Amino acid sequence: MWRKNQVRYGMVIDVDKCTGCGACAVACMSENNVGVLPDETDKIRSITWLRVYQIDNGKPFPDTEVAFFPRPCMHCQGGTSGAPGQAFFQEDTDPQEAHTPCVSVCPAIATDYDDATGIVSQIPTRCIGCRYCVAACPYHARYFNWYDVPWPQGTPRGLSPFVSPRMRGVVEKCTFCYARLQRAKNKAFVGGGKVGEMDYQTACTEACPSGAITFGQLQNPAHKVHKLIQSEFAFRLLEKLGTNPKVYYMSKRKWVRMMADNHLSQAKATQAAASGGHK
Amino acid sequence: MDWDRRTFVKFAVGAVIGIHASPLIPKFMDDTAIWTQNWNWVPVPEDGAVAYAHTVNPHTGTGAKAKLIDGRVEGLRAIRVEGNPNHPLSQGGVLPADASALQLLYNSEIRVTKPLLRNRSTGVMTQLSWPQALDLVAGNLANLAKNGQAHMAAALGADPSSTTGQILMRLMQALGSPNVAFTPTPRETMALAGLFMMGQPFLGFDLANANYIVSFGTPLLDGFGAPVAVRKAFAGWRGYPKNQARLVQIEPRASVTASQADQWLACKPGSEGLVALAMCRIMIDEGVYDRAIESAYGWNDADGLPGFKSYLLKNLDRAKTASLAGISLPKLVKMTLAFAKADRAVAVCGPGNSGDPGRLYDFMSVLALNALKGNLGKPGGVVAQQPLPLKSLGGALPEAKPPALAMAGRPFGVNNVHELAQAALAGKPYGLKTLILCGGNFVFNGPQANVMHDLARKTPFVVAITPYMDESAGMADLVLPSTHWLEGWGDSTTPFGSAVSCYGLHRPLVKSVDEAKDGGDILLALAQRLGGPVAAALPFKNLGEAMAKRTQAMGDFKKLAEASYWAQKRPAYGAMRFNTPSGRLELSSRVLRNLLSKGGRDADKTARALGVKAGAQTAFLPHWEEPAAYAEGAAYPLVMQAVPSLRTTWGDEAVTPYMVKILPDTVLANTDKLVVEMHPATAQQLHLQEGDAVLVESSAGSLTAKLTLYAGAAPGMVFVPLGLGHKDFGFQVAGKGMNFNRAVKVTSDPMSGMPIWELTGVSVKKVRG
Repeated sequence: MWRKNQVRYGMVIDVDKCTGCGACAVACMSENNVGVLPDETDKIRSITWLRVYQIDNGKPFPDTEVAFFPRPCMHCQGGTSGAPGQAFFQEDTDPQEAHTPCVSVCPAIATDYDDATGIVSQIPTRCIGCRYCVAACPYHARYFNWYDVPWPQGTPRGLSPFVSPRMRGVVEKCTFCYARLQRAKNKAFVGGGKVGEMDYQTACTEACPSGAITFGQLQNPAHKVHKLIQSEFAFRLLEKLGTNPKVYYMSKRKWVRMMADNHLSQAKATQAAASGGHK
Repeated sequence: MDWDRRTFVKFAVGAVIGIHASPLIPKFMDDTAIWTQNWNWVPVPEDGAVAYAHTVNPHTGTGAKAKLIDGRVEGLRAIRVEGNPNHPLSQGGVLPADASALQLLYNSEIRVTKPLLRNRSTGVMTQLSWPQALDLVAGNLANLAKNGQAHMAAALGADPSSTTGQILMRLMQALGSPNVAFTPTPRETMALAGLFMMGQPFLGFDLANANYIVSFGTPLLDGFGAPVAVRKAFAGWRGYPKNQARLVQIEPRASVTASQADQWLACKPGSEGLVALAMCRIMIDEGVYDRAIESAYGWNDADGLPGFKSYLLKNLDRAKTASLAGISLPKLVKMTLAFAKADRAVAVCGPGNSGDPGRLYDFMSVLALNALKGNLGKPGGVVAQQPLPLKSLGGALPEAKPPALAMAGRPFGVNNVHELAQAALAGKPYGLKTLILCGGNFVFNGPQANVMHDLARKTPFVVAITPYMDESAGMADLVLPSTHWLEGWGDSTTPFGSAVSCYGLHRPLVKSVDEAKDGGDILLALAQRLGGPVAAALPFKNLGEAMAKRTQAMGDFKKLAEASYWAQKRPAYGAMRFNTPSGRLELSSRVLRNLLSKGGRDADKTARALGVKAGAQTAFLPHWEEPAAYAEGAAYPLVMQAVPSLRTTWGDEAVTPYMVKILPDTVLANTDKLVVEMHPATAQQLHLQEGDAVLVESSAGSLTAKLTLYAGAAPGMVFVPLGLGHKDFGFQVAGKGMNFNRAVKVTSDPMSGMPIWELTGVSVKKVRG
């Protein structure tokens, strides 16, 4: 449950600006030392913390249109889902409702919800590899290391020391580049200031060549994301599950919003929101 | 003691209690946890002091920032490539190719570390020392020159405007060989179109300030110009609740650009230039072109508007043209009127979806459309770039006497690597004895890969200067290791279509692998060994010195190298200067007329001999001619075009493992199968279904793939992802998909003489697979 002195980091991805180039995904992999297997066409085994999905409107030629959904971890903490047009961020006070699907099933506390930041952590060395969390995540954001990464000779030289490479048998996922938050906090501590909006930005946000990704504190009116999530064009994925994700999407295109499970009419959405979003 | 039942039970219970009381179990569990998680093959990256250094990726034009770590044991190493927010074009953004550059840099399984000599019959590679390797090449070239066969040595390079490219050109010219060619780019087509019509070779589109953009078949968001810069402009066009600018895409497929555009007009393949002409006609008919230009350009003679106007009125019926291009006329008229009305509208041409340099007349038609809109030199229009203040590396060298292989009968010299290869293979007028491949991986990138493969196979002595054991190195007799762009000196010039000129420079940031040297250094060392006029033409100790001389006008070289770029401050707005014979914008090009009738030749005959079907009068005007792929006959009823993507390739570098990793299964299916797209109706006609294994065959080559049905693909076409199918580059990249360039048929643009391969006539058959 969110309290006034806590922050909630979140992301807004503008689907209308995303051109599906994959720079975010690649920047994420290089930031977080993600490995490459000999066969990456086996998507069940392929690990992509941030995967770019492609959808199309299903219309015949020449009215066909595609759009892209970059999907990081949603960093859920159940709560009241915002109605379309008034998407605002609110976590439920009832602990039964305010759970995170993956955290609530983890028997090893290898993943946890950080009340101070709203980030769902992942500690690979604690993970026992049971994969309950993989099954529980409605967004397929979690991946299991089925194999050891066969780093080609010499390539470990290019790995970052700020994120440990994972071993076989553990689960991994997007952490909103938590190592960057730690560094920003250290810097702020030494400098005597606070972690500012631009001090902590994820690798994907920085890399995006069309500036489609915005990252910041959802509850902080000074941050860009706070304003963006109140747009009538903002929505989230699978809102009806009540997972209350911290990753928002924006699109002016109605068919895109419809596909993203935001097709409830205004009246129904308000009703659903009022009843906790579990309808 | 007797071992009766009771003793046994006591002992067993005692053992269980004892083990539980001891630290054995927790210790064993702890060890198990450590044992299962601390394999010695899970790398532990070394920590150290962090520093950043600016650089520019010459393959993508992205301004980058390398994150470096200075470790106590491992020394200085790069751990990430991020964007440089100060760079005027890329402003902090990166491409997948930039962000994953380290995967090529540090992969010692694919890097060439020492000069290698191959035994052609056994394929065995032997290591040579640098002096031995250089002596071998210099001896070979000197021998050719001594026997008057210098022209039988050819060199292929990646970028003619880079300092390494300039050194390569001077080296070959001083040696006496006219045979140098480079990777074909739309920069050259644009330079010709600009020169012919405006006397301006360096033209750009002010995309960032435009508010109505019509893109003619160019992948604006998938590899046009400096891709990050285009995306930055694109980001500015979007907005809530209304977009700031309107983007119209004209092309046959529901591509990324078409989908992100506000309007997609699906046209027949190759008819984009025709649509531009139809828009000109509509603007003239409706009288909505910029009237001010008539007097400003002095457009009242036949070279100006009247000639073009009468050509359009005579030859371009609106309804017929629209149906020929497959676009609904009312939609086209509505769009044209909106284009004419917009205050900052621009029509954009560029590289084709297959990565080809574009057709000259299509570019001229788009420039004509911009001229009618009256946006030349205006914000959001077509602007002339300030030429980069680069000095020449030395005085002019004497022209080589024998005719170049690629110039057969053309009125002006162009860079056509494909014609060079074909002429050399046919031995007309002569064959090659030595081939130097300096970057560009021509055996893979082609443009027609199988022809380049044959050329490398048939030429007796092939030298590859490359950082990687790529396909070109795989065909070479001698492989010379060059540096990766993060390890060595190098530069790149203004990307295609940029409104401002921009010079990018990269310098050694990390120690180079083993014995790799800068490509330019290798060429300079070669020149020194050759001695005589060659050494005199290239009096530089190393590439850094040559670059310092070339960039003298950009200020202190050390500061420039640290900043990593030089850029024109703002686009050159204001009346454009036309350096044409008439001093005006010539819609009917006098330059072209003079070239065709040079030496008293009959211009009409010359034009027809080159393959311009329309004959002389129209040959000087922007006009449309049917693509060669249409005339392939009944054996090849479908038209093949590539699907470019920043996830598969950009520039001449190979895809990286991360780029392969993020390919969706509509591009690369399990297991490692290339996927080609087709419209469901076309597939039905051919009795093909989703998931079928198919053979895509042209008159020049073929590829096999898995078929996927996509409603956004134009009927009658097949779309193939570009840039996959490497044979080399390590287990994470090799053997993934097939190479599009092994199936294309390259032809030459009749007028520009550039190689073009946008469309290829193909047949598609079901095969077992």
